[in-house]
Amino acid sequence: MTRAESSGLRLNLTLTALIIVLAFVSLMVGPAGLSPRQALEGLAGNGDPAAAIVVRDIRLPRTLLAILIGATFGFAGAALQGLLRNPLAEPALFGAPQAASVGASFVIAYGIAGATSFAVPVAGIVGALVSIGGLVAIAGRRASLSVTLLAGLALASLAGAATALILNLAPTPYAALEIAFWLLGSLEDRSMDHLWIAAPFFVASWALLALNVRAFRALTLGEDAAASLGVDVGRTRLMVVIGVALGVGAAVAVAGSIGFIGLVAPHLVRRAVHSDPARVCLPAALMGAALLTAADIAVRLVPANPNATAIEIKLGVVTAIIGVPFFLAMIFRERRLSDGASS
Amino acid sequence: MTAEPKLHVGDVVVRLGDRLIVDGASLDLAAGKLTMLIGPNGAGKTTLMRALAGLVPAEGRIDIGGRPLAALTPRDRARRIAYLPQGHVFHWPMPVAAVVALGRYPYGDAFSPVTDADRRAVAKALAATGTEGFASRAVTTLSGGERARVALARALACEAPILLADEPTVSLDPRHQLVVMELLARAAHNGGAVLAIVHDLAMAARFADRIVIMDRGRLIADGAPRDVLTAERIAAVFGVEALMVDDATGRHPVLLRPI
Repeated sequence: MTRAESSGLRLNLTLTALIIVLAFVSLMVGPAGLSPRQALEGLAGNGDPAAAIVVRDIRLPRTLLAILIGATFGFAGAALQGLLRNPLAEPALFGAPQAASVGASFVIAYGIAGATSFAVPVAGIVGALVSIGGLVAIAGRRASLSVTLLAGLALASLAGAATALILNLAPTPYAALEIAFWLLGSLEDRSMDHLWIAAPFFVASWALLALNVRAFRALTLGEDAAASLGVDVGRTRLMVVIGVALGVGAAVAVAGSIGFIGLVAPHLVRRAVHSDPARVCLPAALMGAALLTAADIAVRLVPANPNATAIEIKLGVVTAIIGVPFFLAMIFRERRLSDGASS
Repeated sequence: MTAEPKLHVGDVVVRLGDRLIVDGASLDLAAGKLTMLIGPNGAGKTTLMRALAGLVPAEGRIDIGGRPLAALTPRDRARRIAYLPQGHVFHWPMPVAAVVALGRYPYGDAFSPVTDADRRAVAKALAATGTEGFASRAVTTLSGGERARVALARALACEAPILLADEPTVSLDPRHQLVVMELLARAAHNGGAVLAIVHDLAMAARFADRIVIMDRGRLIADGAPRDVLTAERIAAVFGVEALMVDDATGRHPVLLRPI
């Protein structure tokens, strides 16, 4: 085993242990605090029936969703950074999360369903799928990277405008408020139904990305050299864009927009795998899961104003508050490196 | 002994958009020979080489060992042709040994472990290029000359019978230019068919077994350096007045002034 392999393995085991601990804490924390013993008994279904309901019906779905969504964002971020060979790439780049927001906002605005019902994720996923179709249709099957990026940018802007329009035309102020809060991202009151509708998309996303992980390593030499090594660059690009859109679209459809996990998670683990763009994917996914689970615990611990509409601080707010300073630090680091190179 | 040509190129035409870049190129690359492709900027050398590597669609015949290039799977093609592009790009700060190991990409898949053959090829490529001393350093921290040698090591690690190298000596100091030229010559004399694009005519005259001159999309001369590189041709193709000098290293041009 090389040094990169052994440090990568150690990291993966540590992160897996961390996720298990965080998941357990997530089952204990909330308005009704539970002891570790009560949480375990609740999970097993014996002991206090009230605790069992809290743990199994309320906290288990949101914990599992935090893990799956966090892992999807982490994997998607690492994959896009590998594909684009750029550490600043992030999953919202191709417009899928924005398009998912449009679908969900529409359903909430026209009172077809409440913000936590089943119809919202369905509409969000439809929105994401439409955006993928649009992207592939606009950019074409064998489009260059810059054309794909521009098409994604156009779709993301269009989707942002559409969401604003829906907010603008919302039939009641309550609907507008509900959309606004939904857009902030949350795992509050999600059920196992949400998990079941999103899980197939997560699995499909992981599978599509995993098939291309090895190509990311060859792409470190640039597209020409990678192609000469036998990588079908066009197919890799298509599969990764679709894989990211499926996973991130479904995540946003279920949980609203949650930023920065996809950007931050790969960075936190990159050094340990010696910057290998293939080997970074698994720990990035695990790190994403750990980060989002931790953030979802944090929103339950930070006291929100009890008189306000929202009971909890929104998850997307927490990830952005943590993520933005990190992003700025990275930009400053890049700037220092490029200043150093040019002087 | 006349070996069967490893790479047969017959009347190849490459268009990028409406522009005709390569206009009917024909060329055979034989095993054991170092061929250098020279010509002014914009002559179409890189495009021709990319076509030979299967990276741009081309009309005409490109055969490898008698089989059409287009009929090979990308993986089969990659095992037969190692291609070293211009620029020596490395996007991630991966360790040098891991970068060189990318040369073994066509031999594995996601589930196959690294084989002894892979390890031997990587060690050999590192040793041949003198890069084993910084095998564990991040490739982005290297100097231009070191990067160029790592890029060549990556291509050598493919152990493909055909090596296409696009300006492998660019940005190298004189010593490392000679090192790389000797490496290419050795790769050829060990049985490889090597085609390299270079701009240093004196280096080409000295190290090439054969020189092909490209100008405005056409191959206009092809033969032994002594026959192909003449003062008249250098004036016509490059617009440079040259003096041909014979000395212990053979006949080579000394470039005097632009015409």
